[in-house]
Parts: sequence; C-alpha cells; structure tokens
Amino acid sequence: MTAMIEVQGLTKNYGSKRGISDVSFQVEEGHVFGFLGPNGAGKTTTIRLLMALLKPDAGSARIAGLDCWEKSVEIKRLIGYVPGEPALDPNLTGGQILEYFAHLRGGVDQAYLKQLVERFELDTSRKFRQYSTGNKRKVVLIQAFMHRPRLLILDEPTSGLDPLNQQEFDRMVFEARNEGRTVFLSSHVLSEVEKTCATVGIIRDGSLVRIGDVAEVKAIKRYEVTITFANPVPAEAFKTVDGVIEVETLNHGHAVRLTMQGPADAVIKAAAHYPVVSLTSYEPSLEDIFLRYYEEDGPRATEAHHVA
Amino acid sequence: MWLSSVFLKTLRDYRIPILGWGIGMGLVVVSPMASVASLVTTPEARQQLASLAASFAWNADPVAVTTIGGYATFKIGIFIFLITVWPILAGSRMLRGEEERGSLDVLLSVPRPRLRVALEKLAAMWTALLAMGLLIGLVAFAGGRTFGGDFGLGDALLFGLDLALIGAVFGGLALLISQFTQERGPAAGATAGLLLVFIILDMFHRIAPNSEWISRLSPIYYYNLSKGLIPSYGVNAGAMVLLAVLAIGLGGIAVWLFNRRDVGGTVPLPRWLRLPERQASRVLPVGDWSLRSVYARSLRTIAMPAFWWTLGIAGFAGWMVYAVQLLETKMSTLLSGNAGFTQLIKNIGGGDASLNAGLLSAMFVFLPLFLMAFAVTQVNGWSADEQDGRLDLVLATPQPRLSVLLGRFAALASATIAISVVTLLVCAWVAVAAGLHLDWGNLAAAILGTIPLGLLVAGIGYLASGWLRSAADTGLLSFLLAFWFFVSFIGPELNLPDVTLRLSPFYYYGSPLLNGLQLTSILGIIAVGAVALALGAVRFVRKDIGV
Repeated sequence: MTAMIEVQGLTKNYGSKRGISDVSFQVEEGHVFGFLGPNGAGKTTTIRLLMALLKPDAGSARIAGLDCWEKSVEIKRLIGYVPGEPALDPNLTGGQILEYFAHLRGGVDQAYLKQLVERFELDTSRKFRQYSTGNKRKVVLIQAFMHRPRLLILDEPTSGLDPLNQQEFDRMVFEARNEGRTVFLSSHVLSEVEKTCATVGIIRDGSLVRIGDVAEVKAIKRYEVTITFANPVPAEAFKTVDGVIEVETLNHGHAVRLTMQGPADAVIKAAAHYPVVSLTSYEPSLEDIFLRYYEEDGPRATEAHHVA
Repeated sequence: MWLSSVFLKTLRDYRIPILGWGIGMGLVVVSPMASVASLVTTPEARQQLASLAASFAWNADPVAVTTIGGYATFKIGIFIFLITVWPILAGSRMLRGEEERGSLDVLLSVPRPRLRVALEKLAAMWTALLAMGLLIGLVAFAGGRTFGGDFGLGDALLFGLDLALIGAVFGGLALLISQFTQERGPAAGATAGLLLVFIILDMFHRIAPNSEWISRLSPIYYYNLSKGLIPSYGVNAGAMVLLAVLAIGLGGIAVWLFNRRDVGGTVPLPRWLRLPERQASRVLPVGDWSLRSVYARSLRTIAMPAFWWTLGIAGFAGWMVYAVQLLETKMSTLLSGNAGFTQLIKNIGGGDASLNAGLLSAMFVFLPLFLMAFAVTQVNGWSADEQDGRLDLVLATPQPRLSVLLGRFAALASATIAISVVTLLVCAWVAVAAGLHLDWGNLAAAILGTIPLGLLVAGIGYLASGWLRSAADTGLLSFLLAFWFFVSFIGPELNLPDVTLRLSPFYYYGSPLLNGLQLTSILGIIAVGAVALALGAVRFVRKDIGV
C-alpha cells in the first residue's frame, strides 16, 4: 500500500506564537486518518502546510509523492478541502459558490453535485451571509466532495452540523473510504474520529505525541470496573492486584469501583474468591484517552516513545 | 478603565476615528484659508472674488467670502458629504454591524438591560462626534490664527459643535434605518441617498426664488444657518437646538425600536411593504458567466462600486466641462486682475489660465486623484480578502497563486479603463453640447492618462499587501495619495526643490489638457507600476497566506 500523505520533520514557527515542530507521519492511501488535538495544538497549521497556504520552515510534506509547496497546483487537483473557519464571499448564494468552485476546478459532474445538494437538503438560493453556521458548513462540505477528490482534507468538518447531517457526513466519509479515497480529518470531537477513522494521530503543543490504530490507542486506556458482592468485601483485597490503579469502596463494602489499566484477568480471579452479584465494565471513549493525554504532567513524557 | 462599561468600550473603539476624522476634517477646513490672502490683494480682486462666489451660490451661501472664516465656510459647503461619512457608517454599524457579526448576542447575554446597552452605544457615538467637533474647532482656530482670521476660539468651537450636531443627525438616521434592514450596508446606502436628497433640498432656496420652504425640510438647511467662523454672521442657537432635538429624536426612536424587536431581526414592516416570501430552491446557476474564472468573478464584484465611481467621476468631469463654459467670462475678468490667482491656477493646471483648457486643467487635477482613490478601495478589498480567509478556499483549488492575483488585478484594470473611457465620452458629449472648444486629443490624453496613475496605486497596494494588513495597506496608500497631492498642489507655492516635486506621479502626469501626454513620463509611471506589481506577485506567490 502506498502513502498518500508523507510528512517528515515538518516545522513551522510564527515567531512568538506557537506553530508546529518536527511533525512526522504517514497516511496510507484509502485510509481515514483522524488528527486530534485541542485548540491551538497545531492541527490547522499542519493542514495549512499540507494545503500550501503556509511555507514550511523545515521538513517536508508530500501528497501522492509530490511536494506540497513545490507542486501545489498539481496536488490541489487531488484534494477536496474544508477549512476550519470557512470564509467565502458573503454576497454569493450557496449555488453560486458551488458553481464558482466547480469552474475553478475545471468542471465537475453536475448530476453528482445536485445529488450532494439534495443529500444535505441545502437551499442554494440564499446568500452565504444569510446562512446559519450549519448551512455554511454544508456549502463548504459539498464543495470539498463535489469533484470526487482522491484525498479529502477536512479541518473540523462537522462543527455546527446537526446530528442528522453529521450522520450524512459520516456516510459520505465511509463511501469515500469504500471507493479507495483517503480522508484526513482533524477534530477535537473524539466520538467523530472514533466512528470514522482507522488511524489516529494526537498533536499537543505543536508536537505529535502519539499515532496508531484507533484500537491501539484505546489499548492504553484506563477504564472502570464496578463489582457488586453479596457480602461486604475489604478494599485491600484488590489494592495489590495487577492492573488496578485505584480502589473505591461503595455501598458499605458491598461493591468496589476499580480504576484499571491493562488486562482484567487478575481482577476477575481475585473477585472469584467472593460471591459476585454483578460486574460492570465501562468502555473508555477516545474522549477519556484524549483527556489523559492533555493532563498536566500526565503520561505524555513517558509514552512519547509510542510515537510511530 | 476603558473596558469597564459598554460606553467606554465603544468610545475606545472610536479613538482612532476621533483623532483621524477630527484632525483630518480640521485640515480640510483650514486648507482654503491658506489661499485667501493671495486672492484678495486689491479691492478689485476682493470684489471679483465675491462676484465669483455668488455664481457658485448653489454650493453654499457666499457670506463674507473675502474673510478667512467666510471663504473657508463657503469652500467646505460641498464637503458636507465628507463630514457625514463617518457618522453614517458608525450609525449603521452600531447595532446592525454587531448583529451581523454575532457579537451583540454575547453582549446582550450579560445581565444588563438591552435598552441600556443601546443607549450607552449611542452616547458613545455622540461623545465621539463632540470630540471630533472639538478637534475640528481647535484645528480651525489654529488655522485662523496662522492665516489672520478674525474669529475667536469660542466661534471655532461653535463651528465644530454645529458639525458634530449635523453628524449626530445623520448618525441617528442611519441607526434608525438600520432597524429596518438585515444588513448594515443597505442602511448606510439608504442614509447616504437621503443625504444627497437633503443636500439638493437645501440648494433649492439658493438657486430658485421663493423656495425656502422646500429647503426647510432638510436638516442641512439648519446646519447652514450657523456660520461660526464668520463672527459678523454668528450661530443660530435655535437651529442648533433643533439639530440636537432631531439627533436625540432619531437616535431615541431607533433605540426604542431596537428594544422591541428580535436581535438579528428587523422591525416588521406593514404587509404591503414586505417583499414576497422567497421560496427555498436547490437550483444551481450553471450558466452564470461571472462564475467561470477568478477574473470574471472579480469583475462582477467590482462592477457595482465601479458603476458608482463612474457616476461620480464622469459626473464631476462633465460638470466641470459645463462649469468652465459658464464661468469663462467671469473667470477671465477675475484672472486678468489678479496675478496671484493666475499663478495658483497655473500651479495646479500647469498652463495659461485664460484658456478654456487652462481652467479645465485646474479642475481636472482631481480626476487622477479620484481614480487613484478608487484603486485604493479595491486594493483594500484584496488585502481584506486574504486577511479574512476568503482566499483560502480559492487557493485550495488548482489555480496558481499568480493567476489569482493577476485575475484580480486585471479586473481592477478593466474597471479603471472603463471608468476613464466613460468619463471621456461624457466630457466630449458635454463639451460638444455646450459649445466649448477643446483639443480632443489633449482631452483624451488628460482623461485616459489617469489610467496608469490608478494602476500605479494598485501595483503599490498589491506589493504592500504582501507584508501589511488591510488597514495598514490602505493607510499607507492614503498617505501616499495625500503626500503626492500636497507636493504637487502646494509644493510649487512653497518653492519645494524639483527633486521633491518629482516624487509625485502627478508631476509626470503633467498638464495633458494643455500639453498632451509626455510619452516617456507615462511610460515611466507604467514601468514603476509594473515593477511594483511584479514584486507584489513574487511576494504573494511565496508568502504564507493569512499570516
């Protein structure tokens, strides 16, 4: 499988403002890649470097083997782009904007464009300035998908969309993936990434701190297990068990809530010594994992070696 | 301290306009004072100036025009347009602009009554206008002291107060109209249209007998009843009180309406005045020519402002041609008796002022300035588009950056050429209709020769936008225009060295109405403009967008 995006040592400084530093990753063709980070972490800077809107201070970014800066026109033939803060001519209608960008792209399949307009139920006769935030987002999404690009670069694409349209967007991403197209999706809405992405990169303070499969990232999870017993059980029975980080006694000792990391085998065996009424495990969301990466003095330093 | 209330925060936002508009308008008032002494060297010249002013009575009341204050008051009559620009923009933006940006939602989420927020904003605008009036009065007083005016500080301050009051009337009117519009632009446009109507209404009583009752319908009539810079005339307290009441009334009604309507909505109009309900549609404008390229889109965008600028520039030029025909005799009499004025006309126009072309040349000096100002507004649009992120998606398409920049520049060049050609046609038509004899080749040279000047400004603006943000770029170009005009207009009077005069492109433009265009000079302007554009293009192709 070939790499659609190759980023190596990419660095951009804005003087006193934070940029990105020595960011490296690859996105394979046909994959959906989630790019996670809080506001100001460097997601948009990375994307603007990929889009050749910014010139890198060091390192390189290549798309389909072409240097993003040197071959910017060629790579933009391959890309559909949704910026984080879409700004368009406020006096044009949604329909005029779509036709204008269709022409700038050398023409698009009008039937497919109409189909996208129908899917998002966009009123194309309103001026851009009159649209709600969600409708503005629809216009920008349609213009990104309308020429069936090989690569979609989407910067927080569902911001402002209602749940129904978010579902429609998810379907479009799945369709793109099934057709072998590549999607690079930045977000801080983790459930969105969890649903649609196979691979995830996490950026913090301008540096990539982790990259891997969604499942792999989830494997470093901390999760909770609540066990209810028929009789009171001492907390000490679980404090030294492998994988247990924290023990909390509930209901006068009739239940324990365990904060865990890693396999649950040792806990199950320890619990088996007592009459168990019920056992509940809470699957962590990426949200939990994500928050963990942004805890002050958290595990970032110790886990930096996981970076691919 | 400045962020402790809505009033102070709004006033803080107005600090630059207060200084810029206050001092700028003050200088506009002072500038005619400089030439009075040279115009009234003899009793005959004094009489001729009064006679000349009387023939321009449609512009302003010719009261005591041979005094420093009287001449300045007369000359700035038509500048009411300029003076009311800021309050009209401020009034239309005050609430509607914030609603458009969505920032009013946040402001009104604080536990403070909506009425109070609006009143504090209105009070801040009035305070800003009073501060501007104060600055204008102080600058006018300083000018009067410098050039021997006979008005005192109190007179000058009352003059400034009169300006502040008429500004508050039009600011209040814009604020009121903005309660009925979804966007601030139409509110500002409608108020500007009403301003034009009021100016014409005010002119009525000066050009048609027994028509004063018509002029009384215009607030500008009451503004003109006070002439603070003419001590013998003084101010009309009743008229000033009326203006104050009008300003308070308009602002008060606007705030009352704002307090009762939806934020983001408009005051509901009667059913018969409402536009028909617009039906939702999913149709795409497939055949629209203006969406086919960056150039076509830019041309469509520039078309409307270019139309209004054409109307203004061609109208001004045509009117000047007609005015020269009307004033031919009177000007000849005046100039034959006054060497100073003749010299001034020569400085401006660059030729023998007894000729039609000489007179017209003196007036046509504004033509390149207007066209350059048009270019400044369009360059502002270019840099603002980049700053606001509107170029990001265009540059995300497979369009080379160079093509995008050249497409925009080509649209600006097309509009500049169109404005000049229409102006030439209008002038030629007026000259033929009025029977004014002119050298057609020189007329074409004078008008079409402004095109390179407009494109020079555009080229410099595109170059500067590679580093400067929109406001700074526009500020730099405006400064350059003012500097060049000063050097060419006042420079010869101040005996500035030739090397300084050569810094202004007006020097190279010369006096084409009299002498035709100097080919090498025009080629020089074109070359400098082309180099600026080329460097601007190189910078744009290599720069970070939006940083």
